[in-house]
Amino acid sequence: MKQTGLGIILYGILVVPPVKAYLESIMLLHMLVQLPLLILAGWFIGDRLIKKFHPFFTAWNTDGVPGMIFVVFITMYWMLPRALDEAVTMYYIELFKFISLPLVGLFLKDSWKKMQTLGKGFIFLNYLSMFALMAWLYIDSPIQICNNYLETQQKFLGWGFLVITIWMILYLLQAVFTDHSEKAE
Amino acid sequence: MSRNWRNTAAIFLTVLLGCVLFYAGTDGFRAFTAESARTYKLLKDKPKFPNVTLEDSKGRVYSFSEFEGKYIMLTFIYTACSDVCPKLEMNLAEVYNKIPNAWIGEDILFLSISFDPARDDVATLEKYRKAFDSDGETWRMARIADQDELDHLLEEFGVIVIPDGEGGFTHNSAFYLVDRKGYLAEVMDFTKIDEAANTVLTTLKNGTGE
Repeated sequence: MKQTGLGIILYGILVVPPVKAYLESIMLLHMLVQLPLLILAGWFIGDRLIKKFHPFFTAWNTDGVPGMIFVVFITMYWMLPRALDEAVTMYYIELFKFISLPLVGLFLKDSWKKMQTLGKGFIFLNYLSMFALMAWLYIDSPIQICNNYLETQQKFLGWGFLVITIWMILYLLQAVFTDHSEKAE
Repeated sequence: MSRNWRNTAAIFLTVLLGCVLFYAGTDGFRAFTAESARTYKLLKDKPKFPNVTLEDSKGRVYSFSEFEGKYIMLTFIYTACSDVCPKLEMNLAEVYNKIPNAWIGEDILFLSISFDPARDDVATLEKYRKAFDSDGETWRMARIADQDELDHLLEEFGVIVIPDGEGGFTHNSAFYLVDRKGYLAEVMDFTKIDEAANTVLTTLKNGTGE
């Protein structure tokens, strides 16, 4: 399938040492480009795997909740300032990053379509508040949170999170106002 | 949508795995930043201060082992630093003033170590010493001229120094207390002066009774 190929190529590019080194040299790129792209690669590759192992996913991830819990835990872990630091300094954390995040993409793909509206809303709002918190943490922190990244980079990342948060709020607003007319209420 | 047992089991399993991941990843919910992890690990490992050669603001050259038998209160600095180092040193001065005179020099020495030996020569250190009103004896400012020795020490004590590209460095800061035998005894938050002074006093009280 075309998507699978795309995912493998994307993953391959991210693993190339110069690309990896460059993305990790800047905190903003590390957290908001490399990590999401790894998830995206998993999402692309996941398409084929989910179809191939369809019985497994139907049995163990029937309503999408187990997969989603996995996604939430892993992404929350990668928001710890420490995880980011250690990925740069410890090879096994780095390895864990390149394995866990594509899996996030895979499970996200499988779970999202199975989840009900309420669950989806909960997850969306959860991430909205989490990103807002990260924005506040990184912009406002008077100290350097990560040992491997400078304070100015930390602020950049904070603004990056703020942009995402605002974008999510705008999306939410437009969703609320456009969906409203269709709903029975 | 009906739930089967596998789905329920998978929910429990993922929650469990998630908790294990967070527990392991934060040293049991104790360390959420690499800095707190570093401190936690240091206090667990209690590394020995490597026997480096120091050159202080008076131009004296001696090895660290000369301090054996005394507690050493340490900071890592560089004199061209304009933000955190002056704060660190000002706080160290306050801790110094809180320690009774009877102990100073006899049981404990204060030492500020520069990790920028290229610029922090004897004259520069002397200027820095005057700026903080240290006597150069019981509170010394010193550099480690040998880069390999310096790197080894920074590594052992988990000090991460990154050049910021504008001639400065970004680095993590703390007070370190090394015991009479040269092993790391405490790592203290340099912003909490009273707490640090109390820790040092308690250690000295217990340590002088021996």
